[in-house]
Amino acid sequence: MSMATRQPRFRPAAGFNMTPMIDVVFLLICFFMLVSQFASAEHMAMDLPRPDNSQAVKVKLTDRVIVNCVLTTPASPATSGVYYSVGPLRVDSLEALSARLAAAKAATARLQVVLRADRRVPYRFVRGVMDVIAENRVELMHLVAHVGEGVPR
Amino acid sequence: MTRSPNSSGSAAAARRRARRGPGSRMVLNLAPMIDVTFLLLIFFLVTTTFKPAEGILTSRLPKDAGVPSAALPISPVVVRVSQLDPAGQEYRINIDNYTRRPATFDELAGFLLDIQTNPGFDARTPVVILPATDVRWDHVVNCWNAAVRARCENIVFASQ
Repeated sequence: MSMATRQPRFRPAAGFNMTPMIDVVFLLICFFMLVSQFASAEHMAMDLPRPDNSQAVKVKLTDRVIVNCVLTTPASPATSGVYYSVGPLRVDSLEALSARLAAAKAATARLQVVLRADRRVPYRFVRGVMDVIAENRVELMHLVAHVGEGVPR
Repeated sequence: MTRSPNSSGSAAAARRRARRGPGSRMVLNLAPMIDVTFLLLIFFLVTTTFKPAEGILTSRLPKDAGVPSAALPISPVVVRVSQLDPAGQEYRINIDNYTRRPATFDELAGFLLDIQTNPGFDARTPVVILPATDVRWDHVVNCWNAAVRARCENIVFASQ
């Protein structure tokens, strides 16, 4: 038998070693699953205030209602109007907002209001909300802002 | 001739090997698992948005719906914030009865801290924030934040 026709006894199988890739992919999935926080409908998407050297603290509150103050046309904030929401429920006027807060206050005596307003909203709109909050005898109001410094302006 | 169960078992295994053919091996098909894993990975990559954490600045509201029942015992520090341009980027800070005018909220925090060393002033001296109606909420919160940084304990909003 000639050398040219001799077959090797064991032919190594050609293939990729998938193990490291699967390891990395699983690590990435675990990372994303751990860091993901699914957006709550109560926390409407908006551009929150970014104070210099922010003193805002992350606190878990009970007996609280979130009031959002959002620009209707964020692309042109100077001419935009605003709308309000109590939690995920949109309200069209300050009177409706007051009615909802009154109902919440009746249910929870020690009610706290978390006021989230877009940073570009003119103060007059937020002042209306603060007046409504004060009228409903809410004693604690929390202004929401970004935590920490270094947020680009 | 009797056959032991052991010899019968080895014969069956030999028959299975013969059916499979030489060199065949049992392999686990990983393709569906990898498909699902990649789908999950792509889902998380596409849907994840990293947003800065948000926190709160607490303010205690008056129990009598904002109507002052008596005059304030000490003269408060009144901080006025107004807007300089229609876009709302530029602002001006004025402090009533003081010639010093902080240009930024950092400087305002320093001013409020300095003022507490004056006779008759301390951390409990009321700080009244008086924003113009058209000023951006960002500047108002920044002003409040500056007062909190200066360890002021008595900060209130007022309307012009």
